[in-house]
Amino acid sequence: MQAFYTMLQFLLPGLGVTISVTAIALCMGCCIGALMAVMRVYGGLVAKAIAVCYSMVVRAVPVVVLIFILFFVISEFVDLSPFMSGAIALGFASGAYQTEIFRGALLSIPQGQMVAARGIGMSRAKAIRCIILPQAFRVAIPSLINEVSLVLKDSSLVFVIGVPELMRRAQYASASTMEPLLAFGTAAFFYIMMTLFVSKLLEAVEKRFAISF
Amino acid sequence: MPLPVLRIEKLCKSFGNTAVITDVSFDVIPSEVIVVIGSSGTGKSTMLQCINLLLRPTSGRIFLEEKEITAPGVNQDNVRRQMGMVFQEFNLFNHLTVLGNVTIGMVKVSGIPAKQAKEKALQELERVGMAEHCEKYPAQLSGGQKQRVGIARALGMDPKVMLFDEPTSALDPELTGEVLAVMQKLAAEGMTMIIVSHEMGFAREVADRVIFMENGTIEEQGIPDQIFSTPRSERTRKFLSVIRPGKSV
Repeated sequence: MQAFYTMLQFLLPGLGVTISVTAIALCMGCCIGALMAVMRVYGGLVAKAIAVCYSMVVRAVPVVVLIFILFFVISEFVDLSPFMSGAIALGFASGAYQTEIFRGALLSIPQGQMVAARGIGMSRAKAIRCIILPQAFRVAIPSLINEVSLVLKDSSLVFVIGVPELMRRAQYASASTMEPLLAFGTAAFFYIMMTLFVSKLLEAVEKRFAISF
Repeated sequence: MPLPVLRIEKLCKSFGNTAVITDVSFDVIPSEVIVVIGSSGTGKSTMLQCINLLLRPTSGRIFLEEKEITAPGVNQDNVRRQMGMVFQEFNLFNHLTVLGNVTIGMVKVSGIPAKQAKEKALQELERVGMAEHCEKYPAQLSGGQKQRVGIARALGMDPKVMLFDEPTSALDPELTGEVLAVMQKLAAEGMTMIIVSHEMGFAREVADRVIFMENGTIEEQGIPDQIFSTPRSERTRKFLSVIRPGKSV
């Protein structure tokens, strides 16, 4: 028990890093995803093509590969810390999955909503912004909860470029104490706790913003 | 004869090779109530959607208060703002309250400050008898109530003409009355309206003019008494006898 407690304390700083990486990645992914989904559903030929390519290519590449590309290739040109390049790579990857989530949500909004919005004089862009997107976000929440837990777990991948997050610290502890079960078990415990907490939180959000049709 | 609010000139609309509307022309004078009748699929709804440019006419011209709105370069959003549209399926914004449904256009399109918009929205909701439900969401309303909110939403934009696309067709029979009553009240207040409807009793009572459409064109038009009692066209007679079996025409 004492060992577990010590391990908890040792891993704790990694928790903050994990949460920050996840939060940045999710926000970035959400912006990219919403934009790409709108381009895909409402955009012209070029916009559609861009959105399709992005989502196809990024989903076909393992996240670890994206992380390495961003860290080793892009940071040659731009000054990026391992933390930022890891977070951005994850955001880029999550954006592709969120594109698909938002696309489904946009397509589920009845046609009449757009027609009615145009009917009171809204432009297409305004109708998307004020009428379609707010509803699509609500529809997307259940799938987004799932995406949050996926990104939370994927954030462990940034340990490969040396970001001192939960996984990195667990690995370090495992090597120095020779107790891999304790180290990784504690890390697993943290991940479970975070996932549970976030799911409960978002379920509350889902309930609060639920709309019935 | 006062200047027409709306003038439709040789309106045609086709989808691909299928002509849905051919050569429809008529004027609408201020405060006039026109009810458009005809069998399903004769282009009545398409015509309404062409009038406020939700559908782009294939040819023909439409004038709103002497200004051609079908001319190239006309701001279509601005045109639609000036015409209220009420839909068969209500199409209320599901994520907004009743009040939000009415204010959003005023705030986001007309740029009225939120507080003023709220006051005006409450007035419009009062007009349709829905003010007490202003905090509810569309899903909590009955069909008739939804449609009354739909009407209030359109009224909030201060339209020059109201277009009704079968406003009671999706309603249970016992709910049509409350919607028709609101429309009758608007007519009495002098609102200019074009109504596509199957409510013949309402047409007879409220319309200034009835237009009978068949195969995408105007077969016959006239004052309700004439259309319903002594239709000139054989087709009109046939249509009326089918939808009002037993009644002598």
